[in-house]
Parts: sequence; C-alpha cells; structure tokens
Amino acid sequence: MNRRDFYRFGTLALGGLVSLALAVPGVAYILDPILKKKGREGDYQELTSLSRLQVGVPEVFPIIEERQDAWVKYPPEPVGAVWLIRQPAGSTEEVLALSAECPHLGCAVNLSSDRKSFFCPCHTSSFKFNGNPINQIPPRAMDSLKVDVTKDSDPKVRVKFERFRPQIKEKKPLV
Amino acid sequence: MFNKLADWLNDRTGYRAMMHEALEEPIPGGARWRYVFGSALSTTFMVQAVTGILLMTSYSPSSSTAWGSVFYISKEMTLGWFIRGIHHFGSQAMVVLLAMHLIQVLVAGAYRAPREVNWWFGMALLFLTLGFSLTGYLLPWDQKGYWATKVATNIASGTPVIGPYLSKVVVGGSDYGNQTLTRFYGLHVGALPALFVMCLAAHVALFRKHGLTPPADASKRTAGKFWPEQLFMDSVVSVAVFGILTFLVVSEHGANLDAPADPASANYPARPEWYFLSLFQLLKHFEGDRVILGTFVIPTALMVVMLLIPLFDKVLPRGLAYFLSCGFVFAVVGGAIYLTVEAVKADEKDTLFQAERVRADQARERALALAADPKYGIPPDGAMYVLLRDPFTHGQSVLSRKCLNCHYFDGKGQVSHDESGKETSTPQTASDLKGFGSRAWLRGLLENPRSDSHFGKVKACGGMARWKKNSKLTSKELDSVADFFEKFVIPTPPEMTPEEWEAQEGLAEHPGYVAFNKEGECTTCHSEWGSSNPEAPNLFGWGSKAWITRMIHKPEAADRYGYLDKKDQMPAFGSDQLSENDMDTLIRFLKGDYLVPAK
Ligand code: FES
Repeated sequence: MNRRDFYRFGTLALGGLVSLALAVPGVAYILDPILKKKGREGDYQELTSLSRLQVGVPEVFPIIEERQDAWVKYPPEPVGAVWLIRQPAGSTEEVLALSAECPHLGCAVNLSSDRKSFFCPCHTSSFKFNGNPINQIPPRAMDSLKVDVTKDSDPKVRVKFERFRPQIKEKKPLV
Repeated sequence: MFNKLADWLNDRTGYRAMMHEALEEPIPGGARWRYVFGSALSTTFMVQAVTGILLMTSYSPSSSTAWGSVFYISKEMTLGWFIRGIHHFGSQAMVVLLAMHLIQVLVAGAYRAPREVNWWFGMALLFLTLGFSLTGYLLPWDQKGYWATKVATNIASGTPVIGPYLSKVVVGGSDYGNQTLTRFYGLHVGALPALFVMCLAAHVALFRKHGLTPPADASKRTAGKFWPEQLFMDSVVSVAVFGILTFLVVSEHGANLDAPADPASANYPARPEWYFLSLFQLLKHFEGDRVILGTFVIPTALMVVMLLIPLFDKVLPRGLAYFLSCGFVFAVVGGAIYLTVEAVKADEKDTLFQAERVRADQARERALALAADPKYGIPPDGAMYVLLRDPFTHGQSVLSRKCLNCHYFDGKGQVSHDESGKETSTPQTASDLKGFGSRAWLRGLLENPRSDSHFGKVKACGGMARWKKNSKLTSKELDSVADFFEKFVIPTPPEMTPEEWEAQEGLAEHPGYVAFNKEGECTTCHSEWGSSNPEAPNLFGWGSKAWITRMIHKPEAADRYGYLDKKDQMPAFGSDQLSENDMDTLIRFLKGDYLVPAK
C-alpha cells in the first residue's frame, strides 16, 4: 500500500467511524418504542358488585386507569370499556367480560338497536352475547377478558383489562 | 452491470466530472493540518443537523410540554441522553472551531482581496451560529434557559429605536410563554438552518472559485490535492472532534436539565452559556444609563470593525493593515478571555451566588426525582407544577414564609445568615409544627404541654398545662388517647357530621375514648364534639385537613381559639393570602405526605 492508498482507506475508515458512531445511537433512538421493555401488565380492577348484574343482560363499564403518555402522567380517567354479561346459574363462569374494542379495527362495540346483539357502528360487525361473530366482517369473536369474582358476602366483579391485536384470526395481546 | 448503471447515470448527470472537480482541487504548497477547521466545522454542522432532526422527532415546543419532552428524551428514551448530549456539546464545538477557523484565516491573510465577500459570508455564518446557540438555549424551558434568554431579549429591547419592537416580535408579546417557544423553535429548526445552508454553500463556492490562499513558501513545496491527502487530515480531525464530544457527553452524563421554568421563582442565578459570559461580564462595567455601551455600542462597534477588516488594505499599507487586523482580533479575543475569567472568579467569590446555585441545583434534583417517580410524574397541565404541587418544595416554602415568623419547625424558625455566615433564627412565640396533626405530636402534648414544641412559648394556651398538673391519667391511658385520635379523630372525612362520627362502630368502647371521658379529664374543657366549647377548641376532626384548614383560615372562630383574647389569637390567613394549592401542599408537608428525598 502506498501513501496515497493509505490516505484513501484511512479517510473512508475514519469517515465510516464517525458515521457509525452517530448512526447507531440515532437508529436506536428512533427505534426506542420497539426497544423499550414492555409496559406493565394491567391489574384486576373492580367494576361492580355481582348482585347488580342481571343474568343475560349486557352492561358496559368504563375501565379507569392512570395513563402515562410519554412524559405526561394523567390522573385516573377512562381508557377503555368492558361489557359484562352475567351467566345463568350453573355455568362455568359467573360473569363473561368482553372488551368493547372491536377485533376488526378497534372501534367501540355497542348494542344493536333491538338490544339483542352487539353491533359495531364502524363496519357493521355483529356479535352474539357470548361474543361469537354473527356476520363475516370481524376476524374473530369479541375478546374475552379475565374475570375474578370475589368470595365475600357481596361478591365483586373484577376484570383484568388487556388489549389485543386487531384484524387477525387469533387473539394475541398487543405489545 | 454496475459499471453500465454508473455510465448511464454519468451520462445523465455528469457526476464524475463534478466529483473530479470537487476532489481534485489543487492545494498549493500541499495539504496541511492548519487547513482542517473548515471541514471540521462542516462535519460538526452535519452532526448538529442529524442530532437536531432526531431531537425534533421527540421534542414538543410549548411552555407546558417542552421540559417534559426534554426530560423524556434525556431520561427515558434509548440513548436519548447521548443524542441530546452530542447536540449540546456540538453547539459549543461549533463556537470553538469557528474561533479557530477565523484566526487561521486571519493569520493566513486569506481575507484580502479578492476574498472580501467570503470573509463576510464567514461572518454571517458566525452570527448564525450564535443565533443557533441563543435560540437553542431556551428550548428545554428550564430555569437556566428561561432566565438567561429573558436577559438576552431584554438586552435586545435596549437597541435604539427598533429595540422594543424587535424584542416584542421575537418574544411573541411582552410576556414569555408559548409564543416565545414556538418562535424560537421556528428560528432554530427552520429559518436559521436554511440561512446557514445558503451561506455555507456560498462560502464554499467562493472558496472554490478563488482557491486556497497560497502560503508564502508554496512555490518551494510540491502542490497537493484535496483528495486524498487533505481529506485524510480533515477526517482525522473530524474523528478527534467527535471523540472529544463523546468523551464530554459520557463524562457529563449528557446535557444538564435544570428545574422547569418558573416565572415566579425569586433569585434564580441566571448565567448565559460560557461563550457569552464575556458579554455578560462586560455589562457589569457600565452603570445606570451607560449600560447601553455594554449591551449595544461596544458589541456593534466590534462587529463593524470585524466586517471592515478586508477593506483596511484599501486605505493603509498592506503590512500595517495586516498588523492592525491581527492586533484587533487578538485584542478582542484576549479581552473576551479576560472578561470570562473575571466573570468566573466573581461567581466563585460570590457566596450569595453560590448559595443560590446550590438551591437551584436542589430544585433541579427534586424536579427530576419527582418527574421520574411513577407515583408523581409530570402532570398534564405542565412541568411547572411538578415543583409547585410538591409539599416538600412548595409546602415547605409556604410554611417558612407564612408560619415560621411565630412558629418553629423542627427547632427552627425563619433562618437567616449574618455576615460571618452564622445562622440566626426568628424567636419562637408559638408551637413547633413538626408533625402537627399526627399521633406523635399529640402524644408529646399530653406528656408535656409546656415543652417548647407545644405550648411552652404560648402563655395564653396554659389550659393544657393546668390540666397536666392535676391529671391522674396513666401513661398507658395517655397512649390510648393518642391511639384513639389516630384511629378515629384525625382520619375524619370532611363530609361526616359529628353525630355520624360519634355513632361509629367501636368508637364509644375505645379505651382512649373512655380515658378521654374519665372523670372529666379532657371533657371538662373539650366537652362538645358537635359545637363550640367555652374554654377550649373543638376537637372534632382535629388533625384532619379540614380542621387545620379552618384553623388557618379562621383561628378566631368560636370552635377554634375564639375564646382567647384578641391579642393572643393566631392571625388569620384567608384564601387571599393562601391559595388552595398553598394550603394543600402546606398541610401535606406537615403530614409528611410527599416523596421523601433520597438521603
Ligand atoms: S372496527 Fe368494528 S367493524 Fe370495523
């Protein structure tokens, strides 16, 4: 290698070094949302007492949580909603909890006008009260959530709120 | 395949000729280390552009969000501290390299005809760089940037004739706020970069047009080429600059972030960035009206002379003009260094400044700790409230200002330091409020009402002492009274009535309640929970927020200390003197309801 070649390679190597020293942290910085450790899992949250739910009649409850949006910490406020349907005596679960977030593309699922099924106003997905789809629009059934009914004299219904990925056939948690 | 593609591209663009021209530039006298500053500046500017754009993706320019977003970048985002640190120290590297570049150009005589216009473009780049510094300093919206920039814009407002209008336009009104930030931000990331790139392009184009100024001995040495000799040296220096930046960032743990800007804070020791310190110090040498000399006349005059340097040759002999130009610039640099040292020394000697700096650092640590704590964090209405709603910061300050000229807290009143630095405290004429409203405070009162922590300094409140003299309650019974207060009295919710309170399960049977009523020990004076007593305050809800609030707002009320003579009563502090937040943080401070500082 002669002197000029040394300069040539040296320049390229040094230039590459500075570029990398800046590019690597820069890319890591931009990819921060992916690199960050997962957010903490939600806890069970008490929504109502069992005695206030009527068998087979869905009722919607807001999920109230403290929300951390980047640097801002919001006081407790509704971050989502859950449909609770009390099951007839003798069923395996006492209460069925369905996330009101539509598995299609995330709009809020409501009751149909005849109040006999669930209906999503965005692209007309419909579901039975057990969460199963009635038409072909949604990719899967409404997402059921974990429920815990306390054992005391006036049992309370507690639900663990989670979000799931829209648009796909399986129910996969959103991470 | 690749060659064909390159041929096609060359045919359409002629890029090979362009590259050739750019790289094969001849260097009379050969490549030299002293020619590296221009390239080093370009590299640093590129680094600033890249890190700046990265920061733009996460920064939010408004008075309520700026500090929080910078906090998030520095403390939460992956390598955010590094990106911001490089940008912070990179701005200082720009100033240092600019000074070196300027001196090299000057000493080489490279400003002379026909290169005058290029000197002026260089000057424009210098001012734009200082403009970047000035606007960037404010963006974190922390105390440091806020106060330093306030001083800077007030200086601008002193400019004859246009000053007031100029500062109003830049600040976006007469008050500092959202408009100031958006304007500075627009300048910093939009207007200044555009101007800078245009001037830089012209600067480089003119440099190419006229070529390098040949050094005196150029004819004796072989000529070199830009590529690869000079570019190699440039790259070595660029790596060195980036290495120094990285070292600074790592050893300083990124750029500093002061406490959030608080327009109401008194005595913030504002200082500009170090390369403006000389201008700052210059002001101290002019009194009263003459300050305009320091803020405007001298800096402007220096600027004008700098711009005129290439024209000296026209009126003076070449050698003399060169001597004067160099002499002038070195005098300015020397003066600046002298003033900077003077400023640093003055601050080192200034105990008041040091004390204020310590306070400011404590506020910064506190704000960062609160913002990072998952329980507290930064509220939606702005980072300013991180400290304003903190009992340890704001509650304590309210206590000190409003209460401690009579009361004590933990054995001290309002503390001041005399000449020799000795601590003196205001005299105590009321109880010590440390732990007021808690079980411990109450138990102390029941043990010894005449101690200084309780009513020892308050002659008018001798009732408890008289009771103590004749009291037959055992220590265990006193414990149970304190327990009773802790369990039933202090936690009384504000919506509860005395009747509901007395009807609570387990209240009447509580041994403390029994002792309270035993042979009229306490009930002789504190007989009523539901209405006022003739010779003692009503204890319903004693120690609760509602009780203390009423005590502060209306100490003269019949259910508080209305039974005392007017002159013996505590002065009232109405809501005109204490805001809701003042009251809330004050009471939470007394109750110890705050993030306890580490260590
Ligand atoms: S989001 Fe519910 S139907 Fe499309």
